[in-house]
Amino acid sequence: MTRLASLPGIAPLMACAALLAVWELAARAIGIDGLPPASQALAQVPVILGDPEALLNIADSLRRMATGFALALCVAIPIGLTMGRSRQVAAFFNPLLMVIYPVPKAALMPIIMLWLGIGDASKTLVIFLGVSLPIVYHSYQGSRAVEEKILWSAAAMGMGAPARLARIVLPAALPEILVGCRTGLVLALITMVTSEMIARQTGIGNILFNSLDMAQYDTVYAMIVIIGVLGYTLDVAFEGLRSRLVGWAAPAHDIVAGTT
Amino acid sequence: MLVVPGRDAAGVVDAAMIEIEAVSKTFETKRDRRHLAITDVSLAVAAGEFVSILGPSGCGKSTLLYIVGGFVMPSTGAVTVSGRAVTGPGPDRGPVFQEFALFPWKTVLGNVMYGLERSGIAKAEARKRARELLALVHLSAYETFYPKELSGGMKQRVALARTLAYRPTILLMDEPFGALDAHTRTRLQNDLLDIWERDRKTVLFVTHSVEEAVFLSDRVAVMTRSPGRIKEIIPIALPRPRDRAALLLDRRYQDYVVHIEQLMEIPAEGA
Repeated sequence: MTRLASLPGIAPLMACAALLAVWELAARAIGIDGLPPASQALAQVPVILGDPEALLNIADSLRRMATGFALALCVAIPIGLTMGRSRQVAAFFNPLLMVIYPVPKAALMPIIMLWLGIGDASKTLVIFLGVSLPIVYHSYQGSRAVEEKILWSAAAMGMGAPARLARIVLPAALPEILVGCRTGLVLALITMVTSEMIARQTGIGNILFNSLDMAQYDTVYAMIVIIGVLGYTLDVAFEGLRSRLVGWAAPAHDIVAGTT
Repeated sequence: MLVVPGRDAAGVVDAAMIEIEAVSKTFETKRDRRHLAITDVSLAVAAGEFVSILGPSGCGKSTLLYIVGGFVMPSTGAVTVSGRAVTGPGPDRGPVFQEFALFPWKTVLGNVMYGLERSGIAKAEARKRARELLALVHLSAYETFYPKELSGGMKQRVALARTLAYRPTILLMDEPFGALDAHTRTRLQNDLLDIWERDRKTVLFVTHSVEEAVFLSDRVAVMTRSPGRIKEIIPIALPRPRDRAALLLDRRYQDYVVHIEQLMEIPAEGA
């Protein structure tokens, strides 16, 4: 049993199976409409994925998420890195960030909709805001932690301050920046769904909440499963990218003997 | 006729390679306290000379080196290098730090090539020169390694090669072997002297080891405890190229070491 559980991939599979089993049994025992059995909900997954309109909705969501995320990378990383290297810039941005940090970004959605309508722009902006903060924060931390002597070594080679930010601070802080990006990716998924819940038009959140209104509970649960799997897939893909980008850094966790 | 010292008839400055003139450095610490790190330090280093700055920890000897490097600005006084005032870092002065300060995202070869690529040399040419330098520091077999995969001694060899690559006229070495074990330290001292004998760059070398200073240097500047000032400059009249085994048995070497150790033992005022 222990030997079986230690095989790679077995433990997560067993956890999933256990969750589905509990769900199935609980749903059958309780027997209310709001909690269909797992088998019934999962049967809806291929139906949704076979429906071209649903796929278009999912594609819409992913496109907004990618746009918001990419915009956040372009804005948040330079801000964070500059904050880490300049006390004045940090003193300027820190209070702003402190005010924005605890505000749930989705709570800004109604206001943003007043400016930008219920279309792509509002949702992309909310995703952008949600993703930016962890990336700014981690870029800032990473930038601050860059060893002074590394910067001096570059300065002695004749590299000026702007070049050092791009060619020394950015790569040196990259492991920390990517920690922020990973958090940002999860937040992008969350704000994506919430924004579509508030401004229903297209997207994953739209399918989910429309089904809820129409009491199609098996579809609701199927969508939750799809969102979960989507999040998991994105995270695995991101981890793959991350380990390729910062393989040079000392591994912070998950050290498996023989892989270094 | 007015005779200006250090100038010949044509008025050309017969300057030393490095001229440190009455340099002091005060650091502003928190709560408005000021810390006087070094005070009134003057030192001239001739071209091709190997000079060590020796002193107890906290005497500001590294600060002095950073000021020559242009990384730290002096509070008073001035530093000139090749007759030009130092206003910032430049490729004429190559630093080697105790912390190695390698670029961790670059391979060994990438680190050594980094300064060369900056200077606009073609990549193939830069790679060729970087490989020559790696051979010089005995690391040819490690060019694809990342810094995290190297020992401390190897990291410092890479750092030395990286600095030598862009051909600085002056090497500024900040306790470069201070973080290494005794055996590695000895090997790197020998290798450094071998490399130095090839083109005799001007070297300013900061250390707290008396033996290291005497073994390597033409002159040793002994600094006092904080605030650091130069207490005495001792010329080391030992023949070159130097051989460690012969030197350890040499009475003159022993005398230098004993003399300097005694100098350092006398407590400075307020210490």
